[in-house]
Amino acid sequence: MSGPVDDVHALEPEDFIEEVHSFEHWFEAVEGYLQGLDHGHRRDVDDVVLEAPDRDRLVATLCSYAVAETAALEASSGLIAIAPNRHAKIFLSTQTVDEGRHVEVMLNRLRELGVPDPEAEVDRRAGPSVKRLRGKILELVNAREWDAAIFAQNVALETMEYTVFRAHARNADPITKDLLERVLRDERRHIGFGENELGRRIRQDKQRQTRLAAVKTELDALVLQTFEEAMDEIGVPRSDRPTLGRDYLETVDRLGLV
Amino acid sequence: MTNFLDAYSIQYWLESCPQGYLVDTEYGRGPDEKEPDLVLEDPILRDAAIRTTVQLVVGERCALASSSGLVGCAPDAPSQCFLATQTLDEARHVEIFTQRLYDLGVKKKELEDVIARYANPNLVKFAEILLEKVDKKDFVAGVVGQNVVLEGMAFSVFEMMETVNRDPNPKFAHTLSGTIADERRHVGFGENRIGSLIRQYPEKKPEIERMQKDMSYFMLATFADNFRSNAMQEEVQHAREELDTGAPAKATWQGVDLSQAEPEEIEAVLSDTILKDFQARLGRIGLEYQTPSKPQAA
Repeated sequence: MSGPVDDVHALEPEDFIEEVHSFEHWFEAVEGYLQGLDHGHRRDVDDVVLEAPDRDRLVATLCSYAVAETAALEASSGLIAIAPNRHAKIFLSTQTVDEGRHVEVMLNRLRELGVPDPEAEVDRRAGPSVKRLRGKILELVNAREWDAAIFAQNVALETMEYTVFRAHARNADPITKDLLERVLRDERRHIGFGENELGRRIRQDKQRQTRLAAVKTELDALVLQTFEEAMDEIGVPRSDRPTLGRDYLETVDRLGLV
Repeated sequence: MTNFLDAYSIQYWLESCPQGYLVDTEYGRGPDEKEPDLVLEDPILRDAAIRTTVQLVVGERCALASSSGLVGCAPDAPSQCFLATQTLDEARHVEIFTQRLYDLGVKKKELEDVIARYANPNLVKFAEILLEKVDKKDFVAGVVGQNVVLEGMAFSVFEMMETVNRDPNPKFAHTLSGTIADERRHVGFGENRIGSLIRQYPEKKPEIERMQKDMSYFMLATFADNFRSNAMQEEVQHAREELDTGAPAKATWQGVDLSQAEPEEIEAVLSDTILKDFQARLGRIGLEYQTPSKPQAA
């Protein structure tokens, strides 16, 4: 599919936003890394047989990832109804399908690892903090709080996922690594949307910053707990753990929320 | 259930839609395709094209709100994933029909005013009935309203419009053909997924049947407004005069040559086709079709 615009940066600001939030733009962005895959990973990547404890830990980890991705799927689709304009609705529709894809590939990876009923396994084994975080994000969406819900989902949750998946991909088996690296490409786009959307809205009305700072305070402990739980699951020693704080704080700093 | 839902997975969707029939398209049509000069230059035909396209945008906005609203209340992950693909399909439809309004000369700043001016009030009521069910997170009623009634209607309307436009406006016909392929998938999901849920929740049948009757009424009222208005009669006459450059190409749909049929005939064949399809689809999922009263034109 060929895009209608050669250089998006040459566009006027409003046209730029319309273009980068469009289906056409999404399509061009994903076609390079989603073409010809089998459930999120390349078909020619060989699976390796994991030792039982490693396999079990990976299953538990993927169960937590599936909950995080389901949270993102439900939140991004739920946010479409309250999006302030058509461009944001269209972008969130692309994010909805990205998140749906992530749920599907996580569940399929569980199946590849021999889990007979992945959904039941997710219910049983996902970490408690990620389940609470899902509830908290959906609370904000259901309360129709656009800024707060975008912050919770596209900044806090997605930054956490980005950091965890990146750390995990470094030491993962070949299939999980390939799958996570492609998910990361999507997450980067979602974080960019969240940051740009909130940055623009804060510039329009500085009072939004106060509410977002309160939401950040409310979420901080839960986000960090979820992060630590995920790091425990993937077996990253505390001394080697990347600082979620650094990625997260850099973003909130840019939004002026520290 | 898992097996049949495999046919509605994101993996399948990626292979068949973005990496299938949308390859080498731009806003759903060929990159070099344009609206015919006649449509762009003739104010009556251009106005008619804008008015028609506005109804498509209104319908697709409703479908986007509905499918996205249903993701959160779907009972299992495969259904959620299917509805995620449908959400993006509907968003794409909003985008390509909005783009058609721009192609027809609507300015970006005027877009919402143009939509508000031309949106058929009966179509808006049709959408409101469906979105009320979605707001209540009623998955079964929502999917029947969206994937059987709304998508069933869109499927037939788009098919008819694609037939009419194939010869005089290939650009618009191509835009429609991609959406028809999407609608076929959406209707298939509705039929396949809902049958078992209706059997599981038989107490919901009367309410859903009432919704179908109300939605059908407003659908027919929308058609009545469009096909019976004086403006429509004049537009059809005008278009035939302008396009009459020899033997007109036949555009046969459901046994009727649409290039020669009067608006009342087109309304009748469209309504009959959609209602017969409703009847068959509802029967397959265990619901009894409810005949709406016959609306008067506004």
